[in-house]
Amino acid sequence: MSGAVRFDFMHFMPYIHLPENQKDFPSLWVDFPNKFYDPKRGVELYQRYLTELITAEKVGFDAVVVNEHHNTAYSMMAAPNLIAAAIIPQTKKAKICVWGTPPNLEYPNRLAEEYAMLDVMSEGRLEVAFPLGTGMEYWANPISPATARARHRESIDIILKCWTLDGPTTYYGDFYTYRYLNPWPRPYQKPYPPCYIVGTGSQETIDLAAQLGFGYSSVFVTKERALELNQTLRKRAAENGHHMRPEQLPLQVITYVAETKEKAEQEAIEHIRFFFEDALRTTPTFLGPPGYLSVAELKKRAALADKLHGGFNFDAINEAWFIAVGTADQVVEQLEEWGGKMGTNHYNLLAAIGNMPHWKVVKNLHLIGQDVIPRVRARATAKHRVAAE
Amino acid sequence: MPAQSFPAPYKRETVNVNGLKTTVYSAGRGEPLVFFHGAGIWHGASFALPWADKFRLIFPIHPGLDEADDDPAMNSAHDYVIHYLDLFDALGLEKIRLVGFSLGGWLAANLAVHQGHRVERLVLVGPAGLRGKEMPKGDLFLLPPEQLPSLLVSNFDTIKPYLPDNPKDLDFIGARYREGGTLARLWWEKPYDTKLPRYLHRLTMPTLLIWGEDDKILPMQNAELWRQAIPKLQFQTFKRAGHMVLDESRDAVNAVQKFLSQGSALSRHTGNVR
Repeated sequence: MSGAVRFDFMHFMPYIHLPENQKDFPSLWVDFPNKFYDPKRGVELYQRYLTELITAEKVGFDAVVVNEHHNTAYSMMAAPNLIAAAIIPQTKKAKICVWGTPPNLEYPNRLAEEYAMLDVMSEGRLEVAFPLGTGMEYWANPISPATARARHRESIDIILKCWTLDGPTTYYGDFYTYRYLNPWPRPYQKPYPPCYIVGTGSQETIDLAAQLGFGYSSVFVTKERALELNQTLRKRAAENGHHMRPEQLPLQVITYVAETKEKAEQEAIEHIRFFFEDALRTTPTFLGPPGYLSVAELKKRAALADKLHGGFNFDAINEAWFIAVGTADQVVEQLEEWGGKMGTNHYNLLAAIGNMPHWKVVKNLHLIGQDVIPRVRARATAKHRVAAE
Repeated sequence: MPAQSFPAPYKRETVNVNGLKTTVYSAGRGEPLVFFHGAGIWHGASFALPWADKFRLIFPIHPGLDEADDDPAMNSAHDYVIHYLDLFDALGLEKIRLVGFSLGGWLAANLAVHQGHRVERLVLVGPAGLRGKEMPKGDLFLLPPEQLPSLLVSNFDTIKPYLPDNPKDLDFIGARYREGGTLARLWWEKPYDTKLPRYLHRLTMPTLLIWGEDDKILPMQNAELWRQAIPKLQFQTFKRAGHMVLDESRDAVNAVQKFLSQGSALSRHTGNVR
């Protein structure tokens, strides 16, 4: 496999001080009352989370990843570019990955400008993703889910024109008209920062990544599904004349390392449980606003929702999803196995899981930095050398 | 098995309307009566059959709903008005009586605003599309899907025969989701038509507005908006009927029939104006 091994640390920055009766709310998204947000505790959380992101670089991660969600305790990053701007001066080498602001939720020229600002401010460390945005974002924002995909394509087209054409130029689209498309500043990286699509695997999104030659990361899908998507993506990209490079396929893994397997499970499971049962909890209606999914996709998901019914079972979730909880040796082995299957050497670790306290996140980051990252790197280099000889 | 939506004597045909295959049901003979249905037609069309005794009842299925083909580019009332003018041309319809329910009421009002000379008589049944003072009541996207059937009617037994035995029937769920998507193209960004009130003064043909007194989808206060905007408007309400007033009240069906029969060629010839 070509290219260097890469480790990212992804943070969701959840608001974790939920009311005792939070289980009474069918969704922690869209309509979960914002009276439960206490800005004083928000201060502590922002400071803490920023520290964790900065620590990741110090212990050996190559990149930090932030993203955008609205109306939810799941994430305090309604505007991830603000977080990126706060991280840039406190880091030196780490890639700053904004994965990302859904282009549909901002004017495309402005998003092109913001990303260009971050790229210049960080001396070319920015990477971006163009998500469609979850169904929930369309309940929270004044944009129609029924035209989301068409608008998404047009927005990306405008952003790429902002970055590649010398301005002033013009754009006359279905959704946006620009009489003077001439954004300042322009990106530091040429032609523009590495781009990804992130998605939960709908065919339309895969096709978009394949056509644009962007990286693709499937998120919140099972292992089986991720492998399937991976195959489809490679095939579709090849049909479009693109060869997917391993680093373009970040593999998202919930990761927790401790001294023993028992200890790792004991320390992590309650937070993984919180992540699946609470942070991600929402309704089918919020997940799939009208027109957001194809009817076939909606039916597929409705059938699946029934199967998943039955509450949290760590063994089942651990088996089905990319979850590596154990000793450093075990985690190294799992990452290598999954990376091999997925044809990637780019690991995006969810190492601050759900409502995990600060000490566990820091301990986890240090153990990953000390015992996992160097070993995966060394073994990849050794393999590469053997292959070369 | 759910009840049949379009039982005999309905006949089904497919009409090519400017490239879009459009399903049209019809029954009866006489002067043409066009019915524009609401945002779903799974509850069936049996309620309209009494009209087929006197009229040639024409019941087109809106593009993007139920079994009809879709055209994702249709995203405004104007698109539907043009679609139906094309259909009327294809069917050789010149003057019509027009009845529209809910979403179909909004479409009927729009069509009549533009082509008033073709619409001899107009009936608006619990029409959607105006911004009520009770918003968000009337915003269809806020209705919980699982509660929707019971909110549509005063008496649940009215529509029970049309619902699948299994509430998790994937085909039924998929079909309802498709309707939602079609509706979202029209009403997601603005769940009402802010321009229509400016144009409603053009509805100078005899017009009847009817409403179910137990309407839980579009509260009856919405009727005031239409009454204020349409100069000559007859207004009737029906007890023990919800949003689906025609499905629930035979009196409402009869009232429509009576109103539409006035001024018809038949009644003109016989002088039988009631």
